[in-house]
Amino acid sequence: MHSPVKQFTIEVLYELSLFGFDISFTNSALFMVLAVIVSTLFLAVAMRPAAVVPGRLQSAAEMMYEFVADMVRSNVGSEGRPYFPFIFTLFVFVLFSNLLGMLPYSYTTTSQIIVTFAMASFIFVAVTLIGLIKHGLHFFSFFVPAGAPKPLYPLIILIEVVSYFVRPVSLSVRLFANMLAGHTMLKVFAGLAVMMAGAGGVTAAGSLLPLLAIIGLTGLEFLVAALQAYVFTILTCMYLNDALHLH
Amino acid sequence: MPTQGLALAGRVAVELVAGIAVGGFLGWLLDSWLGTTPLFMVVLFFIGAAAGMMNVWRAATGRGMAAGYFEEQAESDNDQHKDRSG
Repeated sequence: MHSPVKQFTIEVLYELSLFGFDISFTNSALFMVLAVIVSTLFLAVAMRPAAVVPGRLQSAAEMMYEFVADMVRSNVGSEGRPYFPFIFTLFVFVLFSNLLGMLPYSYTTTSQIIVTFAMASFIFVAVTLIGLIKHGLHFFSFFVPAGAPKPLYPLIILIEVVSYFVRPVSLSVRLFANMLAGHTMLKVFAGLAVMMAGAGGVTAAGSLLPLLAIIGLTGLEFLVAALQAYVFTILTCMYLNDALHLH
Repeated sequence: MPTQGLALAGRVAVELVAGIAVGGFLGWLLDSWLGTTPLFMVVLFFIGAAAGMMNVWRAATGRGMAAGYFEEQAESDNDQHKDRSG
């Protein structure tokens, strides 16, 4: 029987190396490329009619756009407008990576910590730079809490600095852990169903239970896929908001 | 909206663990650099736990994720200052 974590193995599809670095094209990379192609195709095809009264597909694309636009507007404000293209791209990429992972035999790119951590640390560095460029050294007042007693400053500033560095970790771990746990759980239940069916007798009849659980879990996984894309994006908005509007 | 409650629940759990992990890791880095093994790791482990708690509290009270940035609190503090000076 397959191990429930076998689905996460990286397989090299095409070996490549650049200046001695291994940059082989893997199944993970393939699904990242697919996420880009599928999302681009989806938006291009959906928006082709560009009708005033949108059809179903165009509505879906427009709703996605409006959803992110509202998120940026309410969390960052009007200063967030220049960053909208990036945030929209981020949302669509994470969403399509998560959803593509729901297809049978596909690979969930976002279940790899290195993929989510690369995105999260890029956001972390970018947001910090935006804050520094916009506010200069005043940016560091960020770590000084308003209205705390003076003797506590050293301790609180230390805690604030650590909590700032927690951001990229919690941002990436959240997405990765949700995708990893969900997909592992699906495979565990699937394995259980197969084993029970193979055992015969009453146990075989009981294999219906894990099978029913898988149906429920698949629905839940679709929710988690969309939800985690939303959480990843909204936190990016919040971090950006912090950097743009200091106190 | 139930979705937002779910989103919050997902944030809180990770925040706690991440605080401790990052604190411990930063401490370990400092220790291996300064050669003061376990000192900073122990200290920063607790600082990290505090930072994690703080992030959870921020997420739960809807204050966003800003370090040291609390709009409502800053306003009430200004009021306090006025009271003191007045």
